[in-house]
Amino acid sequence: MHALKSVAGAAGLGMIGFYLGLGFVAVLRAMLGYPDAWGGEINIVGGYVLGVIGWLMGIGMWGTWSREWFGLKTYQRQAPGWQRYFTFNTDHKVIGIQYLVTFVVVFLLAGTIALGMRLELASSGMQFISHSQYNGAMGLHGILMIAVAVASVIGGTGNYAVPLMIGADDMAFPRLNALTFWLIPPVAVALLATPFLGGIETGWTAYPPLSTTTNSSQILFDLAIITFGLTSILGGLNFLITIIFMRAPGMTWGRLPIFVWSMFVTSWLALLYTQGFAVALLMIMLDRVAGMAFFNAEAGGDPLLYQHVFWFYSHPAVYIMVIPGFGIALEVISHFSRKPLFAYRYAVGAFLGILGLSGVVWAHHMFTSGMPNYLHGPFLVATELISIPTGLVFLSALGTIWMGKLWLQTPMLFAMAVIFNFACGGVTGIFLADVPTDIHLHDTYFVVAHFHYTIVGGEIFALFAGIYYWFPKMTGRMYNETLAKLHFWWMFIGFNLTFFTMHLPGVKGMNRRVADFPESLDNLNMLVSISGWLLGLSFLVFIYNMINAWIRGPVAESNPWRARTLEWQVSSPPPHENFPEQPVIKGHPYDYGVPGSVHGVFPNAIASAPAAGTAGGGQ
Amino acid sequence: MRTAAAAEWGATARSFSLAGQGAQVLHVRHLITAGLLWVVLTAVGELLVIADLYPTVGSHEAQDFDDIFRFLLLLGVPVMTFVFAVLIYAGLQFRIRTAVPAEDGPAMRGHGWFPRAWLAVTGCLAIFVMIYPGLTGLAELQQGDRGASGWGDQDAEVIIKASAFKWQWLFEYPDGTQVSVAAGKELVLPNETSIKFEINAIDVVHSLWIPAFRMKIDAIPGRTTYVTVKPNKLGDYASDQAYRVQCAELCGLDHAAMMFPIRVVEPGEFQSWLASLNQGGN
Amino acid sequence: MAVVAPTETYHAVHDHLKLNRAGLWLFFFSECVLFGLLLSARFFLEGIERGELDQLLGLGITIILLLSSVTAFTAETAIEHDNRKLANWGLIATIALGVLFTGGVAYEWSIAHFHRNEAFGTLFFTMTGIHASHVVSGIGILVLVWVQFLRGRYSSKDHWPLAGAVMYWHFVDVVWVFFYPALYLVK
Ligand code: HEA
Ligand code: HEA
Ligand code: CUA
Ligand SMILES: [Cu+2]
Repeated sequence: MHALKSVAGAAGLGMIGFYLGLGFVAVLRAMLGYPDAWGGEINIVGGYVLGVIGWLMGIGMWGTWSREWFGLKTYQRQAPGWQRYFTFNTDHKVIGIQYLVTFVVVFLLAGTIALGMRLELASSGMQFISHSQYNGAMGLHGILMIAVAVASVIGGTGNYAVPLMIGADDMAFPRLNALTFWLIPPVAVALLATPFLGGIETGWTAYPPLSTTTNSSQILFDLAIITFGLTSILGGLNFLITIIFMRAPGMTWGRLPIFVWSMFVTSWLALLYTQGFAVALLMIMLDRVAGMAFFNAEAGGDPLLYQHVFWFYSHPAVYIMVIPGFGIALEVISHFSRKPLFAYRYAVGAFLGILGLSGVVWAHHMFTSGMPNYLHGPFLVATELISIPTGLVFLSALGTIWMGKLWLQTPMLFAMAVIFNFACGGVTGIFLADVPTDIHLHDTYFVVAHFHYTIVGGEIFALFAGIYYWFPKMTGRMYNETLAKLHFWWMFIGFNLTFFTMHLPGVKGMNRRVADFPESLDNLNMLVSISGWLLGLSFLVFIYNMINAWIRGPVAESNPWRARTLEWQVSSPPPHENFPEQPVIKGHPYDYGVPGSVHGVFPNAIASAPAAGTAGGGQ
Repeated sequence: MRTAAAAEWGATARSFSLAGQGAQVLHVRHLITAGLLWVVLTAVGELLVIADLYPTVGSHEAQDFDDIFRFLLLLGVPVMTFVFAVLIYAGLQFRIRTAVPAEDGPAMRGHGWFPRAWLAVTGCLAIFVMIYPGLTGLAELQQGDRGASGWGDQDAEVIIKASAFKWQWLFEYPDGTQVSVAAGKELVLPNETSIKFEINAIDVVHSLWIPAFRMKIDAIPGRTTYVTVKPNKLGDYASDQAYRVQCAELCGLDHAAMMFPIRVVEPGEFQSWLASLNQGGN
Repeated sequence: MAVVAPTETYHAVHDHLKLNRAGLWLFFFSECVLFGLLLSARFFLEGIERGELDQLLGLGITIILLLSSVTAFTAETAIEHDNRKLANWGLIATIALGVLFTGGVAYEWSIAHFHRNEAFGTLFFTMTGIHASHVVSGIGILVLVWVQFLRGRYSSKDHWPLAGAVMYWHFVDVVWVFFYPALYLVK
C-alpha cells in the first residue's frame, strides 16, 4: 500500500521530529541553566518546528525538492490511481482535489462542533457542557471554519481550475504548490490537539492580554496559524506568477475568465496582508515564551497594538474569503444564463477596488475598543466606501441573469444563492459600519449573523457551486441532479432560517461567545438551534451524493454544461499535461449569443477528440 | 450545435436596446413586473421598521440608536429586496424548460449608461449613509472630545468608576461607595441624570455594555475609557433583563457570567439608597 | 497573435528564470509587510523614544552589512563573467561579513542596557532578532550555494541559485537600512 506507507512514514518521521525538538530545547535549556528544562512552552515550539520538518521530509519533500539544495538528484514517488492523493504530488489537479476533500472534511467537522454549540445554546442555563468546554468548542469552530473559508476555494477550486482556465500546463511552482498543501495536516493536527491542552479560550481573534495569559493551547494555535499563513502567502505568490506569466497566447487581461481575475486579486490580498496575522501571533508567542512586553500595559506595551495588527490582516481576510466566491458565482451565472458577463469591466474594477480599499478599513472592528476618537471617522468612511465596488459585483450578476436563458442546474442555483445571501450579509455590514449602531451591535449575535451571512452565504455557497460545477471535470463522473437540488433547497432554507433569525437575539441584547444568556431570549435561540440542525442535516444528502457519484456515477461528458472556458474543452478528467497542445485564445470567454465567436482554439488539432478545432464555440 | 434561431437571436440582439418592437415591449413588461415584485417585497420587508425588535429603551442614547437603526432598515431593505426581486423574477421567468439550453441569451454586455447609473445611485446611497446617520451620529457621540476615548459628553452629573476584572465588576460612586457582587449586588442609577462611567481593566480586555442603554465601550488594561448615558426610564434587572451591565469582550472562562444587575430609580431615591448603603457599613 | 508551431507531443515551454525572479520579488513584497508592521509597532508603542544603545557598534555593524552587499554583488557579476576566482572570494567575504554582523548583533544583545520585558527592549530584541534570523538564513543559503559553487555547478549561463541568494541578501540589507535609523538614530 503505497498511500499508507507514504502517510504513515511521514507521520512517523513527524513524531520523531516532534520529540527530538522537545528534547533538543530541553537540553538547550538545561545547558543555559534554566531550572525547568522541560517546563516551557518553548519546548512545544521546538517540537512543532522539527515535527513539521520531519513530516514534510517524510511525505516526499526530501526526494522531490530538498535533495536539490545539496546538489543531489531529485526523484518523485509515483503512486498509481487514487493513491497519488496521499503522496507529494505536484500536479495542480491532484493538489486541488487534495485541498477540496481535506477542507470539506474539516468543514463537516467544524460544522458538527457548531451543532454541538447550538445544542447548548438552545436554551438558557448550562445543559451539556461547561463554560470552558463551550469556549474551547467555539474557538475551535471559529478558527477551523476561518481556515476552511480562507483555503478551500482558493486551494481547492483555484488550484484545480486556474491553470486549466488560462491554458497553462501547471502552476508556476508545482513543488511549492505541493508544499503548501502538505503543510496543512500539521496545522490541522495542532488545532485539533488544542482541547488536550485546555482548549482555545480566546475565540479565533486571540486578543491579548487574555491570549498571553491563557493555557498552553494558545501556543499550538499560534504555531498552527502562522504555518497556515505561510501556506496562504506561498499559495498567493504561486497564483500570481502563474496568472501573470503563464496565460496561453491571446489570453489578454481583458479576456481572462472572471474567476481567474478573482483569484488574481485574492492572491494579492493573501500575499500582502497575511503577514499581519503572523506578526500578531508572533508577538503573542514572544510575550508568552520569551517574556516580552508587547501587550503588557504595565511595562509600556499596549493591548490595542494587537488589535490593529490583527485586523490589518483579518479584514482583508474576509475579502480573501469572499472574492473567489464572487468569482465562482459570476463565472457560473454567465455560463448558465447563456449570456456574456454583464459589465465585465466593472466587475473586474470592483475586485480591484476592493483590493485597494480593503487595507484601510480594519479599525471598523475596533469601534468600541477605546482607540483614539479621531480614528472612528476615517474608518467609518472607508468602510462604507467599500460597498460601492461590492455593489458592482451585484450589477454584474443581476445584469447577466436579466433576460438570460437561465439553466437552473445545481451550480446555478448555488451561484444565485450567493448573490441572494450576500445582499443580506452586505447590508447588515452597513449597520455595523455605522459607529452609532455598532456601539450596541458590536460583539452581539447581530455580528455573528452578519458574518455567517457573508462567509457561509457568500463563500460556502459559492464553494458548493464550484464543487458541483467542476465535479464532472474533476472526477469524470456525474452526480445525481435530483439529490443535488434537494441538497440545495434544504441548505438554502435551513441557512436562511438559522442565520436570519440570529439577527434578532443580537439586537435584543445577546452577546456572542457566551454559553449562557438571559432567559428572555430562550424562544429565539431555540428557533435558531432547531434551524441550525436542519441546516446541518442537509449535508448528509451532499455527502451521500458525492461519494456515491464518485464511485459509481454515470460517466460525464467533457463539457456537460456547454460552457466556453478552456477547462471544458478537454476530456473529463483532463490529461496530465492538461491540453493535447497549446491552446490559443481568440476571443472573450463569455461571448454567448454572438454568432461565430470563439474563445480558444487548438490550432493544430488533428485528432484530439473533444471540441476538435474550436474550443468553446458556444452551442 | 447552434440552431438557426439562436444564431439569429444572437445577431439581432446585441445591445441593451433590444432590437424589434416586439422584443422591446416584452422587455418593458418584464421590467414592470419585476418592479412590482420589488415594491411588494419592499412593502413586506419594511414591516421590520415598525416591528419591535429592540430591548427596552432605557436611555436617551437608546432612543437615538433605535431611530438610527430604523432609518438604516428603511434604506437597507429596498437594496436587499431589489436584489431578491431580480433574482426571484429571473429565476421564475427566464428559466429554460428544456433539458439542455437550446439557444443563447441576448449579448448584452453592459457598456452603456446602465452601469454608470448603477454606480451613481449606489455611490450616492453609500455617501448618504456615511454622512447621515454615520458621521453626524458620530459627531454627536464624540461631542466635547478632549482626547479621551469614549462616547458622550465628558461633563456628567454623576461619575462612576468601573473596574473590570476576571470575571466581575467593581463600581465606585463619587462619594467613595463601592458596589460589587460582594457589596450591594446591584448598580443603582438615578433617572434623567447624565452618568459617566470611567472604565478600566485590571487584567484582560473586558467591555462594559448595557443593552437597555445601547452603549458599549471596552475596558482595557493601561488606559481609561468612558461612556456617558442618561437613563430615561425606571427599570430593574429583575423585571427586565436588558437592565444589566454585561461584559461584551471575551475574557476567558466565566465571560458569560460577567454580568451585573442595574436598577434605575428617581434621583431622590438614588440619594437615599446611597446613604443607606453607606450606613450599612460598606 | 502568437501561433504555436506544431509539435508531436505537447510540452509547454516556460522561461523559468523569469518566473523564479518574479516569484522572489513577490516574496519580498510580502516580507516588506512583515518588517513594515514591526516598524509600525515600534513607533506605535514608543513614539520616538529609544533606549540607550552603543552607537559605535550600531554604525559598525551597519557598515559591515552594507559592505557585504557589495561583496555579494561582486560575486554575482563575477559569475556572470565566468570569473570563478573572484566569485569564490565574493561569496566567502559575504558569508564572513554576514557572520560578523550576526556576531555584532549578539554582542549588542549581551551588553544591552534594557531588558526584554519592557517596551523598548521588547521592540529592540524582536526587530533585531527577526532581522538577524533572516541574516542567518541568508548565510545558510549562501553556504549551500557556495558548496554547489565549489562543485562547479554554476556558470554564466546557469547561476540562478546564486543570483537568487544574492537578491535575498540585498533585500535583507535594505531592511536593515530602515531598521537601523528606527532603532539607533531617532529621538
Ligand atoms: C466574507 C466575509 C465578510 C465580508 C465580505 C464582509 C463584508 C463587510 N463587513 Fe463584515 N465581518 C466579517 C466577515 C465579512 N464581512 C466577519 C467574519 C466579522 C466578525 C469578525 C469577528 O469579530 O469575529 C465581520 C465584522 C464586521 C464588522 C465589525 C462588527 C463588530 O464586531 O462590531 C463590521 C463593521 O463595520 C463589518 C462591516 C462589513 C462591511 C461594511 C462589509 C461590506 O464589504 C459589505 C458590502 C456589501 C454590500 C453593502 C451589499 C451589496 C451592495 C449593493 C447591493 C449596493 C448598494 C448598497 C449600498 C450603497 C449600501 N463587518
Ligand atoms: C466558514 C465559516 C463558518 C461556517 C460555515 C459556520 C457554520 C456554522 N456556524 Fe459558525 N462561526 C464562524 C464561522 C463559520 N460558522 C466563526 C468565524 C465564528 C466566530 C468564532 C469566534 O467568535 O471566535 C463562528 C461562531 C459561531 C457561533 C457563535 C458562537 C459564540 O459566539 O458563542 C454560532 C452560534 O450559533 C455558530 C453557529 C454555526 C452554525 C449552526 C453553522 C452551520 O452552518 C453548521 C452546519 C453544520 C454542518 C456543516 C455539519 C454537517 C455535519 C454532518 C451532517 C455530520 C456528518 C459528519 C461527518 C461525516 C464527520 N458559529
Ligand atoms: Cu469580561 Cu468578558
Ligand atoms: Cu472587517
